[in-house]
Amino acid sequence: MAEGGLSVEFPGSLKSSTLPPPRTRIFKIIVIGDSGVGKTCLTYRFSAGKFPEKTEATIAVDFRERLVEIDGENIKIQLWDTAGQERFRKSMVQHYYRNVHAVVFVYDVTNAASFRSLPAWIEECKQHALGTEVPRILVGNKCDLQDSIQVGTDVAQQFADAHSMPLFETSAKNPNGQGDGSFGGGNSDHVEAIFMTVAHKLKSQKPLVLSQPPVGSGGTINLSRGMNGGGDGARSWGCSSC
Amino acid sequence: MKRLTRKKQSAGGFGVSENGSATREPDCGRKQKLAEIHQALISDPVDIETLRRTAASKGGLLTDELRRKVWPKLLNVNVYDLPHKPGRDVRENHKDYNQVLLDVRRSMKRFPKGMPAAERAVLQEQLIDIILEVLKRNPQLHYYQGYHDVAVTLLLVVGERMAIAMLDTLSNYHLRDFMDPTMDSTKHILNYLMPILEQVDVELHDFMIRAEVGTIFALSWLITWYGHVLSQFKHTLRLYDFFLASHPLMPIYLSATIVLHREREVKQTECDMAMVHHLLSRIPQDLPYELLIAQSQELFSQYPPSLLAKRAALQSRKSLSISTFQVFQLSTLHQRPDSVLQRLTKAQGSTTSRHASRHSGLEVALPRDRGQLWGQGNRMVKMAVWGLSATLGAAVFAVAQTALDWGPDVLQQLF
Ligand SMILES: Nc1nc2c(ncn2[C@@H]2O[C@H](COP(=O)(O)OP(=O)(O)OP(=O)(O)O)[C@@H](O)[C@H]2O)c(=O)[nH]1
Ligand SMILES: [Mg+2]
Repeated sequence: MAEGGLSVEFPGSLKSSTLPPPRTRIFKIIVIGDSGVGKTCLTYRFSAGKFPEKTEATIAVDFRERLVEIDGENIKIQLWDTAGQERFRKSMVQHYYRNVHAVVFVYDVTNAASFRSLPAWIEECKQHALGTEVPRILVGNKCDLQDSIQVGTDVAQQFADAHSMPLFETSAKNPNGQGDGSFGGGNSDHVEAIFMTVAHKLKSQKPLVLSQPPVGSGGTINLSRGMNGGGDGARSWGCSSC
Repeated sequence: MKRLTRKKQSAGGFGVSENGSATREPDCGRKQKLAEIHQALISDPVDIETLRRTAASKGGLLTDELRRKVWPKLLNVNVYDLPHKPGRDVRENHKDYNQVLLDVRRSMKRFPKGMPAAERAVLQEQLIDIILEVLKRNPQLHYYQGYHDVAVTLLLVVGERMAIAMLDTLSNYHLRDFMDPTMDSTKHILNYLMPILEQVDVELHDFMIRAEVGTIFALSWLITWYGHVLSQFKHTLRLYDFFLASHPLMPIYLSATIVLHREREVKQTECDMAMVHHLLSRIPQDLPYELLIAQSQELFSQYPPSLLAKRAALQSRKSLSISTFQVFQLSTLHQRPDSVLQRLTKAQGSTTSRHASRHSGLEVALPRDRGQLWGQGNRMVKMAVWGLSATLGAAVFAVAQTALDWGPDVLQQLF
């Protein structure tokens, strides 16, 4: 199967190699945002544990999944990787908004237009009856391209706050940062941590609690360390600013 | 309830022909077919019926060389009167430019594995140009992600200028419904899928309805003619032979055939939207294409679109691809063979001289700004490819492709 294509992979980093028992809970997460922001790369990284060498345009929707263990419970995370081109939104992707448990909005930090599209994506979600009661997160992708950043952390943070979403800046390509800790989470895979955070949140089913960024700094919400080891889902949703 | 017989594909035999009856000898089959195609090509008018039949029957059009001769006939394209190479302005102020760029830059997998990066880069630039050129000529058409998968298949076989002509015709007929401002017409075409399944296997149909899987799993198959999902180019070519010679709905009949082929797998899957979608959208790479093609044709004649269209769900909307198909087919009936076309075109004042009056040859062959765009790639290769496709036309370009297997050293010897 082609690399950018559909894949169900269970990398060994999490306990996952056996087939799920019949009662495995499923968390269905839809990933949306403009074409080219890196939705396919992010979902591929989470399901396959690496950056795809070649991705292709997503037509309508691709499906990826991964089995994870949270607090001793096996959970299947289904990612619906949608097409960014506008024409697919209305009539085509509709079907896949049904019974969604969480929404991941993605923009490209090197592409201001993709950030400006976010209100339209949020509106799109509302039209599919996915309002603020459904956990939603905002992901700014391609942080590895430090020299071409067009969307600053502060404006993204403001936007995220205004819509009651946590913000994560990351890179599907190099999610461990460049060693300067600017967006990484230590040795763990930051992209994985983001999706796991959503999963923890869903498992705990507690309302979204955000820590306030320090006044004036507009700090990016970062994942608390050690979150990967499981532990309390609600606490890991809480974020620390950097 | 199953009325479609599932025939085992005989390993070497000619298998089932398009009407599901004739079986021919494997060895003389190919030779006979070659002769038949050549005869059809030199008939005056061109024997389009035979070309269609051979394109659909086992093995399709056999070689790329034949494809370059037959494909244009299937679309009523005069290879001696091809559109000009797009100028630099084709990229200016085009609303779809960014999306096309993004999609083509990511389409690496569609190019032959061994192709040097520099050559691929040249072809990718051509791909962008031909897509934008066709869109510019047809303001009523709208780009969709996946259109580039169709365009690249044509480009790789017939070269830039013939690809423009073919893509133009395809876009106005077979692909027309996909190119509306919205995808409502595309959805309408997808709506044919379940009724076909229902005719053949009610159980499978009901299972899929219960799973609420929908038909989006087949969307990329339909709008790219499977180019987006097949990893082996030879399979894509085989299907393009078939679809170029068929009714615009044939890709949906093939989708139905593929689902029916996987009936057991589907029924064994958990009856759940995600699971069934996941199973079906991953197309097996080892499908018995010849068998499936024959079965699709069988399905088509047993349950033609007109019969299915009586169903309520299919009455709400009119398909341009379907309604214009007859006109399109009629237009292909009176084509002159290439030898005659060449003479006629020469008599009128050849395309090359018309071409030259508009551009000075060399400028077209190697636009300076693009030459810089490619950076430090193999300059010679770029020149060779540009030169071939731009000035000598698709025929020579094609020879270089097949005979030289993309080796830059060999290409250099040409110049
Ligand atoms: N440098 C860098 N490039 C990235 C990153 N993520 C994705 N890309 C590149 O951005 C391009 C688009 O990525 P995709 O994942 O295909 O984008 P998409 O959002 O799925 O796009 P559509 O399917 O068209 O909606 C590709 O060329 C990727 O290689 C990243 O974190 N860093
Ligand atoms: Mg994608």
